[in-house]
Amino acid sequence: MPGKRSPARLIVALSVAAVLAVFLLYTSIAGGGTPSLQPSQLAGHAGRVSLVGIVAGQPSGDAHAAGLHFLIRDRHAMTSVPVVYKGSVPDMFKTGREVVVDGKLRHGMFVAVPGTLVTKCPSKYTPKK
Amino acid sequence: MPDLGRAALVTSFLLLVYASAAGAFAAWHGRRRLAESAQNALIAAFGSTAVAVVILLTALARHDFSYTYVAQHTSRELPLGYTLTAFWGGQEGSLLLWLFVLCGYSVAAVLTARRAGREVIAWVVPVLGVVASFFAFLLVFVASPFATQAAPADGAGLNPSLQNPYMAVHPPLLYLGYVGLTVPFAFAMGALLARRTDERWIVATRRWTLAAWAFLGVGQLLGAHWAYVEIGWGGYYAWDPVENAALMPWLAATAFLHSVMIQEKRGMLKVWNVLLVVLAFCLSIFGTFLTRSGIIQSIHSFTQSSIGPWFLGFICFVTAASLALVFSRLPLLRAKTRLESLVSREATFLYNNLLLVALALTILWGVIYPLLSEAVTGEAATVSKPYYNFFLHSFGLPLLLLMGIGPLVAWRRASLRALGKTFLWPTAAALTAGVALLAAGAGSSRIGVIAYTFSVFVLATIVLEFARGTTARKALGGVGWGGAFTSLVARNRRRYGGYVVHAAVVLLAIGVAGSSAYQTVRETRLHPGDSMTVAGNRLVFRGFESSLAGNHRAIRANVDVYRGGEYLGRYRPGKNQYFAEDQVSNEVSIRHDLLTGGDLFMIADQVNTDGSVDLKVLQKPLVNLIWLAGLVFVGGSLIALWPDAREERRLAERYEGVTVRA
Amino acid sequence: MSVALVIGALLAVVSVVLVAAPFLREPVAADDRLLQPDAAQQRLLARAEERDRALDALKELEFDHRTGKVSDEDYRAQVGVLRQRAAAALREADG
Repeated sequence: MPGKRSPARLIVALSVAAVLAVFLLYTSIAGGGTPSLQPSQLAGHAGRVSLVGIVAGQPSGDAHAAGLHFLIRDRHAMTSVPVVYKGSVPDMFKTGREVVVDGKLRHGMFVAVPGTLVTKCPSKYTPKK
Repeated sequence: MPDLGRAALVTSFLLLVYASAAGAFAAWHGRRRLAESAQNALIAAFGSTAVAVVILLTALARHDFSYTYVAQHTSRELPLGYTLTAFWGGQEGSLLLWLFVLCGYSVAAVLTARRAGREVIAWVVPVLGVVASFFAFLLVFVASPFATQAAPADGAGLNPSLQNPYMAVHPPLLYLGYVGLTVPFAFAMGALLARRTDERWIVATRRWTLAAWAFLGVGQLLGAHWAYVEIGWGGYYAWDPVENAALMPWLAATAFLHSVMIQEKRGMLKVWNVLLVVLAFCLSIFGTFLTRSGIIQSIHSFTQSSIGPWFLGFICFVTAASLALVFSRLPLLRAKTRLESLVSREATFLYNNLLLVALALTILWGVIYPLLSEAVTGEAATVSKPYYNFFLHSFGLPLLLLMGIGPLVAWRRASLRALGKTFLWPTAAALTAGVALLAAGAGSSRIGVIAYTFSVFVLATIVLEFARGTTARKALGGVGWGGAFTSLVARNRRRYGGYVVHAAVVLLAIGVAGSSAYQTVRETRLHPGDSMTVAGNRLVFRGFESSLAGNHRAIRANVDVYRGGEYLGRYRPGKNQYFAEDQVSNEVSIRHDLLTGGDLFMIADQVNTDGSVDLKVLQKPLVNLIWLAGLVFVGGSLIALWPDAREERRLAERYEGVTVRA
Repeated sequence: MSVALVIGALLAVVSVVLVAAPFLREPVAADDRLLQPDAAQQRLLARAEERDRALDALKELEFDHRTGKVSDEDYRAQVGVLRQRAAAALREADG
């Protein structure tokens, strides 16, 4: 084993340090991620969150005008929150589907960031009943 | 028949367990016949898995809804093609495909190695056997594709976004990639288990790794294209966990393909290479796990399923076992040479490796962030596009630049004077392009300008490499320009194939930067007769049209596109309503401009009852270069993969010579 | 059902025969040892690899010099060392 101070080790050490620095820089500027919550966990969160849950109630309104109104409930509970959303509505969106949407809770209404509505697309289809 | 399917899978499982146990015993105690028997078990397992595959395909083709799997993923009206591709539309079928492909790879690798490297495979067989046993175990005990039920009148149908020609090629290609990474892993582990200090395993798996990596790359690009033309939100990559799942092992494999060259040329980085192989394999298993377990919120996550914990356990086992093995063999992996200079080809490869791994790991961090944050703070949090874009820019752009620098730097050491000379032209070209771009108004996106400047630099390097190589070859005499060029490439396929792949990556970078940094988006509600203008194109909405087609109703918005008074044609974005699946799917319309490489992307976002349409239109410059990059990528990979008889003979002599003499 | 049974039985038989084949072919093996290089052979292999590596390095240096990637002085500084190394590796591997 020739020489203790191999340049390779120097590169690795410096690069790891550089990568960590970039990483820390990012997390210190942008903070952690967006909290991902179900309706029952919403209370007390003033900032932007991503709301996850099942679409409940009949969606009404116009997503390209005043906004689409619907309810999102917890996956395994009935707690729900009214949502108003503007922008593209995914193909899979309908009552009973699991969706994710970003936004903020304002006066009991979850105001979604336009264009952030995403449906989870299950590969299994329950037969029509 | 379903009983036969189950029996075939049980047979596969038993054979694979035998291959693992008997193979390990034979390798440990050096029993030749037992080792051969274990190899044969692997081959027999391939056969019995093939029987299971055929049974499932037959059941699908015959609409036999007494198979739960068939009933859940197809319906009577589903066209035959999609009925067959529904094979990998669900979890159980996908796992069966995994096992089938893995057995196929194992058989191929073992049979070709039988000829070329008999002495390395004794330990490779049990390693392959263990991995395959895991999947066979899942198929037998946890998620059987042959579960039966009382047959319903009709099936539930296939997800409309899976009813697409891409469905026929994208998943199998990805699987060929994911699963293919098992081969280098098995050989690396096999070499360590056998305490081999030579590079036989690298030579034996070179082509397998390259093929798996190429499949994974092409599979991803096809997936991106699928998303682009089918899913219809105007993008091709969304940093979704399932997309990242394929990107991470690809990045790790890319790093390996580069660093393994340093081991071959200089005998260094042995530990690092083995670790990269392990990383790539674990990431590919993790990718399958992500896609299949639904543990992380994703747009294409599949229903929460019972196989999650098994996968997690297997990943932990593989990681722990392989790290322990590497650790126990550290003395064998000691390098005899070392890096001579920080300015050398080796060093640039090392930088490239660290960046690739850093990129893969930051993506991994982003993917598992929800799980980590939930474990630490009790509340899941997700990171999204800005996070990934930030790291793509901070690691991807330097990588792009390195792709240009690397080929210009000599092995071992390069003096700065020599570098100045070789860098002159590419740098001049890049600077000229940068200034021209700024003058043309591309400064609206700083990252875009940087990416383009770097791209020009890399392209100039590649052209220069080919040109200088050809000139030097011709100077040796005896050949014309064409002959010099072909003999240059033919004599060093990996290097020049690699340069072609680099060119593909540059095209990709140009396409991605163009279509994301410089795109225009407009969204307007149009009544029949109304028009909108997007990036110089005038779009006039002429009203809806509706028609019935097989298993769906198609609604189309007729949109006439004009540019500067010239009529460019009628485009028909719309929606399809599927009956059996009770689903709507967006059908976008795209106008390709082959001259500029840009697309006019039209989405009928919302069809209103009053006859108006909410039309979303995106002008995406240069996006077609991404797909062109795919073709170039395939071409480069093929050059690198193409067998070189002379090279084969030389390697065969090297290894046979030593073994025979003894 | 009977078709399934036949296929199943066939599958089982073929599998068993395949797995047993090495023992059926040679019930008594004259040499049942697995070919594995011993320490001396491993050293030989390593030397052969070292020889190829040294020769490749030399070839690559020549080529890079011809294409102009390696300057004349860099070439002169390295070619001697590499030639010596290649000669030594050749002696080792063939000796």
